[in-house]
Amino acid sequence: MFIVKNAVRSVTRNKGRNILIVIIVAIIAAAATIGLSIRDAAQTARDEGLQNTTVTATISVDREKLMSQARSSSSSSGSSSSDGKPDFDAMRSALDQSSLTLADYLKYAKASSVDVSTYYTEETSVSATDDFQPVESSTSASNSSSSSSSSSSSSSGSSGSDNANRGDAQGQGGPGGDGGQMGGMTQGDFSLTGFSSDTAVANARNGSFTMVDGEVFGYDSASNGEAIISKSLADFNDLSVGDTITVTSPTDESVTYKLKIVGIYKNTTSENTTQSGPMGGTSQDAANAIYTSVSTLKSLGLDSDTTAKAASSSSSSDSSSKTAATQLNFTYVLGSKSDYETFAKDVEKAGLDDTYTVQSSDVENYEASLVPLDNLAKFALTLLIIVLAVGAVVLIVINLFNIRERKYEVGVLTAIGVRKAKVAAQFAVELLIVTMIGIALGVAGGAAASVPVSNQLLAQQISSQESQAQSQQAQFGRNADMGGPDQQDSSNTDSGSSSSDSADSNSYDSSDSTGSSGTQSNAQQSGSQRGPGGMQRAISYVSNVNATVNFAIVAKMVAIGLGLTLLSALAGIISVIRYEPLQILADRS
Amino acid sequence: MTTTTETDKTTETDKTTETDKDTTSTETTTSTDRSEDTVTDDRPEDATTADTAVLALNHVSYAYTKGGKQVIHDLSHTFEAGRVHAITGPSGAGKTTVLSLLSGLTSPTEGRILYKGKDLERTNRYDFRSHDIGVIFQSFNLLPSLTVEENIVLSMDASGKSFDRPKPEIVRELLAKVRLAEEYANERILHLSGGEQQRVAIARALSYGPDVIIADEPTGNLDLATQDDIMRIFRELAHSEGKCVIIVTHSPDVARQSDEVFELAPLRRR
Repeated sequence: MFIVKNAVRSVTRNKGRNILIVIIVAIIAAAATIGLSIRDAAQTARDEGLQNTTVTATISVDREKLMSQARSSSSSSGSSSSDGKPDFDAMRSALDQSSLTLADYLKYAKASSVDVSTYYTEETSVSATDDFQPVESSTSASNSSSSSSSSSSSSSGSSGSDNANRGDAQGQGGPGGDGGQMGGMTQGDFSLTGFSSDTAVANARNGSFTMVDGEVFGYDSASNGEAIISKSLADFNDLSVGDTITVTSPTDESVTYKLKIVGIYKNTTSENTTQSGPMGGTSQDAANAIYTSVSTLKSLGLDSDTTAKAASSSSSSDSSSKTAATQLNFTYVLGSKSDYETFAKDVEKAGLDDTYTVQSSDVENYEASLVPLDNLAKFALTLLIIVLAVGAVVLIVINLFNIRERKYEVGVLTAIGVRKAKVAAQFAVELLIVTMIGIALGVAGGAAASVPVSNQLLAQQISSQESQAQSQQAQFGRNADMGGPDQQDSSNTDSGSSSSDSADSNSYDSSDSTGSSGTQSNAQQSGSQRGPGGMQRAISYVSNVNATVNFAIVAKMVAIGLGLTLLSALAGIISVIRYEPLQILADRS
Repeated sequence: MTTTTETDKTTETDKTTETDKDTTSTETTTSTDRSEDTVTDDRPEDATTADTAVLALNHVSYAYTKGGKQVIHDLSHTFEAGRVHAITGPSGAGKTTVLSLLSGLTSPTEGRILYKGKDLERTNRYDFRSHDIGVIFQSFNLLPSLTVEENIVLSMDASGKSFDRPKPEIVRELLAKVRLAEEYANERILHLSGGEQQRVAIARALSYGPDVIIADEPTGNLDLATQDDIMRIFRELAHSEGKCVIIVTHSPDVARQSDEVFELAPLRRR
């Protein structure tokens, strides 16, 4: 009581000095509050952003790894490396074997310790018959494009088929596939896609759609043969619900498939349907997409397992049989980001070869959108450390001078019988009172300033991030990231058209840059470059943080304040303890 | 206990106690056992001192640094309640050291200081200072930024004693006792003259009712009238309130007004 009373009196007596300390502490506290709240907001954004939304994940093959393995194995055998050329056959076979089957995917889903739901699509192409024609502006254009692409795929040997297989393995939900893969696929006039569930339909590659007429097919075998077609296609062919269409296999016109139209849909993102470029072919056109169930595809013998077997039984140089192979796009749906991480680990444990990686475009997009925020958080941490270090030093120095100045007071107090511990405690309490006032003011000021300041800082980070990307684009005339294997594949197929293709997709992407990460993956077009290191994604950076000051931050600030006070008081206390009253008073007199 | 008899000189000081009646009770060391050379020609009444002696030096030696020059050597003396003691001696005889020892600001390197028969070394010297002894420093050692009342109340608070009346009231009373007007209570120490500060220092020393009052050169730089006035206050405290008053001074005038004079001889190395 004596201590506190004296401390309060002393604080009110030495107003000038204490106001100085209050101001210094307030500035430190305000800066520290802003720093803390930014970090807190960044952490919250990171934690909560994907916590309650589902995350889709896919298993994709790490082709570089695969190829390096193939290379090392072939060089160890020492056979074809003598001529100095890569062993293409070994590479191809390695890539060829790398696709996972439906059973594999299901096995990994089971291996997961967290709840995981799955869906998959199987996509193949079928050709038109006389009474069922694809939507196209001019038949000649379509023919030329398809012929050019088919010739390119055959001229490049089995690279087209490799791409197709790789597309299988990569298995990206919506946006999977690149130019080369598409080159292999464009032989048909229609893309026939089988969906495993409503979720799969909802994540259809051509974007979400609404039913104009009829309803979506069922998924069990009872609904086999049912399909839905786009409104454009229905109008073009003058078809309506209940009609039956007949399509043929692109490789063998004698094989026909009959599908019953149970519904007509219309893509909600209509601008996507005009995507088909010179080489896109009619099956690239979203209007020419026929949707059905995987069960239907299976009954028609078009599911991925069947076609893969057929392909592997045929010789690897026979590209025409392989291009008909059905792509399997398998997607895992997880409850949250943490589930996703668990799932990735579980899958690895379950024996997934290390040439495969578990990927999530949701998570990747989200991570990318957090880059400015992360930078800001780093900056905030630096700010915090500097401010606290400087603050500690300043406080200690002030306190030491203060106590030196008050040496005489210490001498008098101890001479009249106040214990040194009490004197030291009084000084500490004084400092505590002053710093707490400073912290209160600083936190109040920091709280008021933290939201605008942090958003301002974040805006700077975002603009620097964006200008970086822009300067890259200006330098290369395209997105600088495209040097990966995907790009090479595209050039193999048709370099001229693929570049225009990717330019298309990029311009689309940038126009869609305001979209959220969830819609991006759905909306991305067939032509978009996609794969490890090979695409420019439309990233909407997290541009707003809710850097409000909450109780946790106030508590942290008080704790920091206490720590700083005690630290600087310690210096003072040590000097107090050192004084002997006799010496002090003797010095004086 | 190497030697001998600088302290013998102390006995001579008692001659100066010409003033009064009871020359009887002066120096007694508690020890009859070691009477051989130290306490030689004291007044004889060793037995009675146990009752009246408030403070006693018992073969006290002091050096500022361990093993360094001894400022005082083997000093013994007792101080009784109800009397004004003057400690005199030439410069360098260790007057201030004795005062520091008596007030518990420092401890002797050898020997003991007894307060009411208890070794000061074993009691808490902070408690001793805050409860039992009121020290009036040469430089007053008042806190200049505080008012008169705050200075006095600070000492009262520090003593941890409880008072039956409100502290401001006691302060007024003390000020009256040291003959300061009441309106001084809220005056800053800085605004006071030396004599006024001296009175405040006395009031502060009295505030918590200690048994012993020790004053270091209380009249050092005061005019004669003030000096006499302050000495009158001290005598009053000793004689009517039964306090033990110890004054360190080199003014023969002050010594003359004291009941007893304890003269320290300068140390000479032989």
